[in-house]
Amino acid sequence: MTAATLRAPERRRRVDWGSPLAYVIALMCVIVTIAPVLFVILNGFRTTRQMTLDPSGLPAPWVLDNYVAVLQSGNFWIQLGNSAIAALTTTAGVVVLGVMAAFVIARYAFRGRDLLFSLFTAGLLFPLSVAVVPLFVMIKGLGLLGSVAGIVIPQIAFALPTTIIILVPFLRAIPGELEDAATIDGAGRFGFFWRIVLPLSGPGLVTVGVLAFVASWNSYLLPLLILGDPSHATLPLGVQAFSTTYSQDTAKVLAFTSIAMLPALVFFTIAQRRIVGGLTGAVKG
Amino acid sequence: MAISTLATGSATLPDRSAAGPARPTRRRVDWRGAAMIWGFAAPALVVYVGFVLVPVALAAVYSLFNWNGLGPLERFIGLDNYVRALGDPVFLGAIGHNLLIVALSLLIQGPLAIGIALLLNRRLRGRTLIRTLIFVPYVLSEVVAGLAFKLLLQPGGPFDAFLAGIGLGGVTQLWLADGQIVMGTLFFVLSWKYLGFAILLMLAGLQSVPDELAEAAAIDGASWWQIQRHITLPLLGPTIRIWAFLSMIGSLQLFDMVWVLTGGGPVNATTTMATYMVQYGFQRSQLGYGSAVAVILFVISLVFALLYQRLVLRRDLAGAVTRSA
Amino acid sequence: MMNRSRITRTVAISASALLAVGALAGCGASGDDGGDGKVTITWWHNGTGDPLKSLWQDVADEFMAQHENVTVKVEAYQNEDLQRTLIPNALRSGSGVDLLQAWGGGELKDQVAAGYLMDITDQVQDTVDEIGPVVSGWQLEGKTYGLPFQYGIEGFWYNKDLFAQAGIDAVPTTLDELNEDVAKLKAAGITPIAVGAGDKWPAAHWWYNFVLKSCSPDVLRTAQAQFDFSDACFVEAGDELEDFLATEPFQEGFLATPAQQGAGSSAGLVATGKAAMELMGHWDPGVMGGILKDSGSQAEATAPPFLGWFNFPGIDGAQGDPTAALGGGDGFACAAWAPPECVELLQYIESEDVQKRFGASGAGLPVLPAAASSITDPNLQQVLEGLQSASYVQLWLDTTYGATVGGAMNDGIVALFGGQGTPEDIVTAMQNAAATL
Repeated sequence: MTAATLRAPERRRRVDWGSPLAYVIALMCVIVTIAPVLFVILNGFRTTRQMTLDPSGLPAPWVLDNYVAVLQSGNFWIQLGNSAIAALTTTAGVVVLGVMAAFVIARYAFRGRDLLFSLFTAGLLFPLSVAVVPLFVMIKGLGLLGSVAGIVIPQIAFALPTTIIILVPFLRAIPGELEDAATIDGAGRFGFFWRIVLPLSGPGLVTVGVLAFVASWNSYLLPLLILGDPSHATLPLGVQAFSTTYSQDTAKVLAFTSIAMLPALVFFTIAQRRIVGGLTGAVKG
Repeated sequence: MAISTLATGSATLPDRSAAGPARPTRRRVDWRGAAMIWGFAAPALVVYVGFVLVPVALAAVYSLFNWNGLGPLERFIGLDNYVRALGDPVFLGAIGHNLLIVALSLLIQGPLAIGIALLLNRRLRGRTLIRTLIFVPYVLSEVVAGLAFKLLLQPGGPFDAFLAGIGLGGVTQLWLADGQIVMGTLFFVLSWKYLGFAILLMLAGLQSVPDELAEAAAIDGASWWQIQRHITLPLLGPTIRIWAFLSMIGSLQLFDMVWVLTGGGPVNATTTMATYMVQYGFQRSQLGYGSAVAVILFVISLVFALLYQRLVLRRDLAGAVTRSA
Repeated sequence: MMNRSRITRTVAISASALLAVGALAGCGASGDDGGDGKVTITWWHNGTGDPLKSLWQDVADEFMAQHENVTVKVEAYQNEDLQRTLIPNALRSGSGVDLLQAWGGGELKDQVAAGYLMDITDQVQDTVDEIGPVVSGWQLEGKTYGLPFQYGIEGFWYNKDLFAQAGIDAVPTTLDELNEDVAKLKAAGITPIAVGAGDKWPAAHWWYNFVLKSCSPDVLRTAQAQFDFSDACFVEAGDELEDFLATEPFQEGFLATPAQQGAGSSAGLVATGKAAMELMGHWDPGVMGGILKDSGSQAEATAPPFLGWFNFPGIDGAQGDPTAALGGGDGFACAAWAPPECVELLQYIESEDVQKRFGASGAGLPVLPAAASSITDPNLQQVLEGLQSASYVQLWLDTTYGATVGGAMNDGIVALFGGQGTPEDIVTAMQNAAATL
């Protein structure tokens, strides 16, 4: 132990020597990652003519028309709203249903528990694309075709396996003593769940919530087949449809694309610490 | 005591995995308790069974019929759809493309992510910012990413201009039009999108590798590379295995990116099982055939997953799926 | 000890969640009838560029001005997406579109069989008489389900200046002459032919034309009626096409080039003088004009001045009728659930005034004979002559045969273009697809 303390300064110097390489690699990663995104955003400020004449230049002059046109298009706001409603509702549904199911699976031994858990885990293997044809028929039969509920319910269903798999270890780690203490206070299982488990599982809930939100926000295949009409659809559909409507006007398409990116980016910036923390916890679990 | 346990709740996770699952509360399940348990699990179960399991089962049923989606299921043709799919060179090509992406992801993205994560695990200024920026592509939708790259990779477009600008003008190819290299282009775009996620996952896993072990080895005179090889990487094992599983399943189910970037083309050079299903099932109004393709996709995923669980994940997820705890 | 406020909160949250889901179920459906007499018509067309885009918008605005209770929502989508994905999806879901682009033929037949389209026979009888025989593509068993607004035949749109540059003084009338011209253009360093094989159908049209010149009209009629492709002429046509492809007459990267989107599309290549010719329908000048305008080269969406037209050359020794032409048109149909005002809008589109403006815009050939005088573009006049003198006009084969067989056919042809299929494969694919119907 003493040897370790004596060596400490030497070790630190060794780490510092490696750092420049790390910085270079990090810089390269960041550049490769961000360059396409920057390209999309910056070119929204040019006209297609500028782009044709000088594909990789900076905006000269900076043109606001494209962004203004997108923000003024009624479709964009409808699609944004639909995406938001769908994502928020999906997230709420997934978190509520998922934590309830994960809670009992994680903490109580009952007949059929392992079967239940395996059932949910197997869901990881069912890609949405497998179920898309029957889902279409079912949703049509329920009369929900063309409505946001038609994509929310299947999205909740398909997000449950990942959610439960992430939440079970989280919930399992809550010490049994807490439950005993709660029982002594007369709280019962529900009280334990409501007053202790839920607050404690905050980080886990945020993680699965963020994953569900991002998955719903970005989903394309299901809305493509269920919503169909781009003017009532979600943002990814809107982006694709817009790109075909304005296929000649590349700059305008890029403006739409970069605005479509914004909500996800903003949301991520706010939640990024949680996401990383949550992933850390999930990986350890 | 209780308070500190509360605060460090999640920090007890690593210990738990070594000791096995935490002791579930040993309580005899009474009726009220059972009602509460099943009451809690029921909503999730109902939604899941109704909108995941039932449709998958229905897909298997539809696959046995020749059906255009309208009217009743009348024309039972048994396994003809499967015979047709497995005999179609385009579909077999699609399976090949999926498998190629699985292999490339494991062989290229994996080591690359691990390497970068190892290098980034040092104390760097702005580490959080770097991690945030690297993760950005994952947050974007595949549609947005695919569209952006479609525009970037046009012949004579911005990417080609960039290459010319740094003196590599002779290297330009028809990135999306040349059937020989379009899979490479696709993989490049996929890596751009998902490498950040892999790196972050590895970084998270690295955080659970205790510093003391590396320090002790350094004291004993081990080089940086030896430390990584003998200590860090093995301890990173569970993370790598989880990432590989997610990557595999994702590669098999690939749709959005391909659909937007190449549409499966040129001339079916980038079809995946999922794009084939939409193209030949939905767009040709042959929903029975599309369902058969979907079932084949599922079976292939299932085989991969089961083999993987049996052979690789057995130590990590003891009891998750294959056996009861 | 359950805190009462907690229970209330739980119930409140669950109730609002249920309400939200319920609200979502209602939200998103396109309300055609607001219940207070206000009517909305959603109109989808494929004119993403000018002059067609502005024309249709003007038409919609005028109709709204004439009918105060009607709102017309016009949306333009790219052709392939519209035809293969957006319209089928909307029709399947029973909402979302009222007035939709309709290409006629087998496609229309499938849609009628599924009950997606409105029977407008009674309302449009007069218009049908005015338009003439080409309406048959939009009719089934004597009933009318849609009306065409343009109809023309396909041919080569070429750059007169580039042809002169390569030393070609007369347009080719036989396939051999076409091959010679291709060689001359290549020798002059000019890309001979542009093709948008990325969209599949432009490549497919090459095969259709070869079939048209290789198969007799009777064989074609039988093929259409019974999906009988057993005649050897279908394979022979493919062989001729394969030989033609071997001369490498196309631009680089043709397998991924789109047909109409941007300056890099096949239309764009011809419009900007980078390729000498393209085999395309009568809408091409309009598309080229739109591309030139959007890319900033021109202020107006007009066709380039060097553009000329010639008919698809005959193949010496083949069985097809040398004056036969491949053609087709675009039209509109009303969905079965559309409001009655949809038919009025359709008739307004078909009115002589609008048809004349369509002809004058250069976007295509109006279908109303009375509007023929409005065509000022000499190239389009040539196309019209070609249409009128053709002894037999075959509708695009993929439209004729419907999505299932047509899709298989187009895929087979693109494989041939990519050097991966054989002429026999195309016919086999079509027969297999037909067997599943």
